[in-house]
Amino acid sequence: MAKTTRLIIVGGSAAGPSAAAKAKRVNRDLEVMIFEKGDFVSYGA
Amino acid sequence: MRTPEQFKEKQGIDVFLRHRVRRLDPRAGRIEVEDIDKGETRALDFDKLVLATGARSRRLGMPGEEAENLFTLKDLGDGIRLKAYIDREQPKRVGILGSGYIALEMAEAFRTRGLETTIFYRGTRPASHLEPEIGDWIRKELDEKGVQFLPEHTPLSFVRNGKGKIVALETSKGQYPLDLVLSALGVVPNTEIAAEAGIGRGETGAIRTDEGQQTDHPGIYAAGDCCEVYHQILEGPVYMPLGDVANKQGRVAGENAAGGKATFDGVIGSSCFQVFSLQVASTGLTEKTARGKGLDVGVQNIEASSKVHYMPGAEPLLLKIVFERSSGRLLGGHMAGREGVARRINTLAVAVQSRLTVQSLSKMDFAYAPQFSGAFDPILIAAEQALKKL
Repeated sequence: MAKTTRLIIVGGSAAGPSAAAKAKRVNRDLEVMIFEKGDFVSYGA
Repeated sequence: MRTPEQFKEKQGIDVFLRHRVRRLDPRAGRIEVEDIDKGETRALDFDKLVLATGARSRRLGMPGEEAENLFTLKDLGDGIRLKAYIDREQPKRVGILGSGYIALEMAEAFRTRGLETTIFYRGTRPASHLEPEIGDWIRKELDEKGVQFLPEHTPLSFVRNGKGKIVALETSKGQYPLDLVLSALGVVPNTEIAAEAGIGRGETGAIRTDEGQQTDHPGIYAAGDCCEVYHQILEGPVYMPLGDVANKQGRVAGENAAGGKATFDGVIGSSCFQVFSLQVASTGLTEKTARGKGLDVGVQNIEASSKVHYMPGAEPLLLKIVFERSSGRLLGGHMAGREGVARRINTLAVAVQSRLTVQSLSKMDFAYAPQFSGAFDPILIAAEQALKKL
């Protein structure tokens, strides 16, 4: 089985989740991971 | 705001909270990430990476900044901590350092809670990144609503009690007793991980990217408050950390990381906010920035009514347009008023971004009904008057 491409996103406020959502819409097979140092995700903007 | 579970269920995205990325190795395509609660660090390989590390509040570098009654306001956690502190300690006098939109919006919030609120600012007018005429209107609004604005008051030091709590602020114009301090001096980009990995930064200090949000390392993108943005009127990169820009850049970075070919064409510098009942909105260049760019600048200030004066709710508004005298090209528009400001600015944003001249703008066919604007909209009046200055 071919390896799924992995996208890592550093930061989960505004730009990070936007990037993650768009990447996943463009390519559903992409493995998308968001790492956020704080307690919340998608809290900005 | 959403939970990691919602991200997983709805979008198939894995979110790890309280995980700090400590190191990035662009060549190996690997990060080291620490699970803060477990204290464990592991290495993970990636094929593509997006840096969305954001920004942090600028510090004064003054002793006492770590005091428990000094706050900054950058994210949700900061807001929750500040609100809990006010509920618990019931402070009476709050001092705000800085005079940008966070400072002004928070002045309103503190005042609304009944706190004695003072803004200490080293400059002369609020919102000094905007036009001075707008600053004067903001000042008037603050005065009317009972917020004390102290210009040319540079913070020098904090006076602390035996427990380390700030009890007063020493400024260039004297000492002021305080129970709470909000430091709202802007933000600086978080670029440490990128810098250690050798990823290029621009003159602004933020991460440099191309129009596809890619850094100087193929496969590594950056978006949001950690990176620069292209300014279409200044024709170069600027640092403009705004939420709408972050979302747009993020979307482009995500599409390209997934194999697409999206571009983010940049900004012209549009923003709006409200302080008490005054709306403030701005697009394009200010007079000062345009002159700094060496352009042959003309300006037109007008005061007009937001709608036909006999209609209920009509309010005066201030409009200043900035244009190039030789060509008539519109460079910027700036507004303040209690009504009809924040949406009207977008008309000027379209004009600035489309490189319209004041000649063309003065002939625009805008919709008219008395409850929305005069037969001559304030924008048409300003453009018409500007024609005399070309």
